[in-house]
Amino acid sequence: MPLLSIKRLSVIALPFAALSAIAGHVQAQEWTPDGSVEFVAPANPGGGWDTLVRTMSRVIQQEELADERFAAINVPGGGGAVAWAQVARDEGNPQKLFATSPPMILVPLAGASRHDHTDFTPIARINTDYSIVLVDADSDYETLEDLLTALEEDPNLSVGGGSAPGSMDHISIAGLASAAGLDAAAVNYVPFSGGGDAMTNLMGGHIEAVIGGAGEAVGQLGDDSELRALGVSSEERLGGALSDVPTYQEQGYDYTFDIWRGVMGAPDMPEEAVAYYEDLFTEMMETDSWREASDQLGWIDSYQDSETFGNFLDEQQAEFKDVLSELGLLSE
Amino acid sequence: MEAFNNLMYGFGIALEPINIAYVFAGVFAGTIIGMLPGLGPISALALMIPITFSMDPSSGLILMAGVYYGAIFGGSTSSILLNAPGVAGTVATSFDGYPMAKKGLAGKALAIAAYSSFVGGTISVVFLMLVAPLLSKVAVSFGPPEYFALMVLGLTAVVSLSDKSLVKGLIAAVVGVIISIVGIDMQTGTERFTFGSAHLLDGIDFLVVALGVFALAEVFYMLLRGGGGKEKPRNAIGSLKLSRSEVKEIAGPVGRSSVLGFFTGVLPGAGATIGSFLGYSMEKRLAKDGDTFGTGNIKGVAAPEAANNAACTGSFVPLLTLGVPGSGTTAVLLGALLVMGVNPGPAMMEQRPDVFWGVVASMYIGNIFLLVLNLPLIPLIAKILDLPRPLLLSMILIFCMIGVYGLSFSVFDLFLLLGFGLIGLGMRLFGFPAAPLILALILGSLMEESMRRALQISGGDWSIFIAKPIALGLLSLALLSLFMPMFKKLRKRKALNS
Repeated sequence: MPLLSIKRLSVIALPFAALSAIAGHVQAQEWTPDGSVEFVAPANPGGGWDTLVRTMSRVIQQEELADERFAAINVPGGGGAVAWAQVARDEGNPQKLFATSPPMILVPLAGASRHDHTDFTPIARINTDYSIVLVDADSDYETLEDLLTALEEDPNLSVGGGSAPGSMDHISIAGLASAAGLDAAAVNYVPFSGGGDAMTNLMGGHIEAVIGGAGEAVGQLGDDSELRALGVSSEERLGGALSDVPTYQEQGYDYTFDIWRGVMGAPDMPEEAVAYYEDLFTEMMETDSWREASDQLGWIDSYQDSETFGNFLDEQQAEFKDVLSELGLLSE
Repeated sequence: MEAFNNLMYGFGIALEPINIAYVFAGVFAGTIIGMLPGLGPISALALMIPITFSMDPSSGLILMAGVYYGAIFGGSTSSILLNAPGVAGTVATSFDGYPMAKKGLAGKALAIAAYSSFVGGTISVVFLMLVAPLLSKVAVSFGPPEYFALMVLGLTAVVSLSDKSLVKGLIAAVVGVIISIVGIDMQTGTERFTFGSAHLLDGIDFLVVALGVFALAEVFYMLLRGGGGKEKPRNAIGSLKLSRSEVKEIAGPVGRSSVLGFFTGVLPGAGATIGSFLGYSMEKRLAKDGDTFGTGNIKGVAAPEAANNAACTGSFVPLLTLGVPGSGTTAVLLGALLVMGVNPGPAMMEQRPDVFWGVVASMYIGNIFLLVLNLPLIPLIAKILDLPRPLLLSMILIFCMIGVYGLSFSVFDLFLLLGFGLIGLGMRLFGFPAAPLILALILGSLMEESMRRALQISGGDWSIFIAKPIALGLLSLALLSLFMPMFKKLRKRKALNS
């Protein structure tokens, strides 16, 4: 069994997949993949994109939803830009997918990618996570207001996050500050090499607060935790261990932030192929294996089909553009 | 006493037949993965997540931990035999391991690496068991200023790594820092020295440079001098046996480096590399025959090997007690644990004692497996050196290329590898040591990031580096270790004059 799984994930599948893709001129109405589907995680193993790709591939195989294998392939580099450049060359290939999330919008806006989301075919939005604001359990900050007032009075107070300036965590906290009437650019955002790194620094008292993913923080909260959560960026309260954490809106800040995850495909993918994947993913999200995995990873289903997802991406781009220009990080 | 009872409970779990099988499978797979550069423990563990998904969490972690420390254990092989370090933690092993192999002592070098790894691994498990909960405080006490100070201390090892000419060593170190700057700057998101190439956005991976300036440069050098297959193969693997005096000689270095390695491993992000370099330079200074380090001194193999294995165990402290990953590898482990429904963190030791103590106990067993597995393998693996030279050299070449290509499947990296091979050859011909370059490359980006983070937190106030006692202590230590050798030399000169 283990051997099979490793094989399934192996890169050996790559040249075969490419070959079969070239050969694949399927005219039938019901389109199905011919040979394995390349499912690219535009990052190294272990991160959010990689987890999405591997979890989806695993559930699809386990539940025998597709005849062909979904081969997880890691193409790291440039915060996604290397993989995007690679997929963009594969115009019309119906068997090349990749995992995506807000960096798909943010990295191009920062000028670090030659391709943006409009170059690819949106397939489906799958799920979402939310931002969470954390402080040390011993700190004086009891509510978001306490923290935001303190930030206003002393702009030197540092808020740590797990990503580079102008990327997800920074946008999330800057947007919140902006909604609270503060100058977004005045937040002293300190980037760490990951959410875990930022939380360690918070526990050690080196920074005032952390902005991070709720799914990542959930293991740190609960009884006798060293951290306290002040708010989540969702519209409604989250479940499980996070049910005590109030939303931003409850505390009077009209601001939400989605860390959405979805799937996109090669440019100009045929409609039949898009329809096939939409159906497949809808079916996948109804299985118990998917439910179980999502619960454990703190993922919240938020499916959108190709068209809705495409419009959503355009809206996101407009919204992020505003925040980035307020921060002075928008690329000309 | 409580620890003893807990440990017995842990052994109860780890000694279940299925778990013994997992430990064995894990360390075996790990050893093989460790021997191949490019396929690091991170990718191997990420590939294993689907396999462990349905397993009992303690079994899953036992298996994955086995792969992790097995890979560190096996990592010394390519450093010693081929001068091709596959992970950053084993670079220091090649300094004396490869010269030993060249002298026909490959068997002994590998055996020392195995014994030291075993002792380092075992001592650190004892520490993990006894002091893990207390150490979680130490792990978080290191913020950006403390890390900066630690990196500075690590960089002072340059002095001991460049004994022929300190100036040339420092030049190599500066070049290393420059290479570490390439890529997107974490603090501002600005591209630096990428020349508009998407391939350079993530910077230059340590492995590309290490395989280039060590292994490839060595191949070029041999070609330049030897001119193909005229020379006889090196043949002798040598005996694996250590004499009693040799055991005595390495006992101290192994013990000290194990403790040092464990504590650097506890610090998130510092880990095996700093531990092994600090262990190496510490022993070089302490040793009476310190000037023979770099030419095949057995202590120079023992110290870094004990340290990097101990650091690997140490990196489980922040993972298991705080639920925060201390390294890329433990980040993947954390993800796997979450998928299996276990939340590592302060409450885990009470909620899931089976996972914590089961893994701790399995590490004792795993280290024994590694030793008995590796010792009989040594003569077989070392046979590589018996290959005719043209074959051996082409093999190293292919080996390096696969390792580098496996990083990101980028042909661009292969050209970089070739470039660094030529740079390494030039450095050798003109007497520049390669080790300071690698050390500076590894520490450079961490040092810069922590310095800028610290200054951002303090609002640009440099006093943050001396206001914090730990940072101040480490910086003083760094100063001391920079000036001690000079001081010693001066005294020697005085003694000679009078």
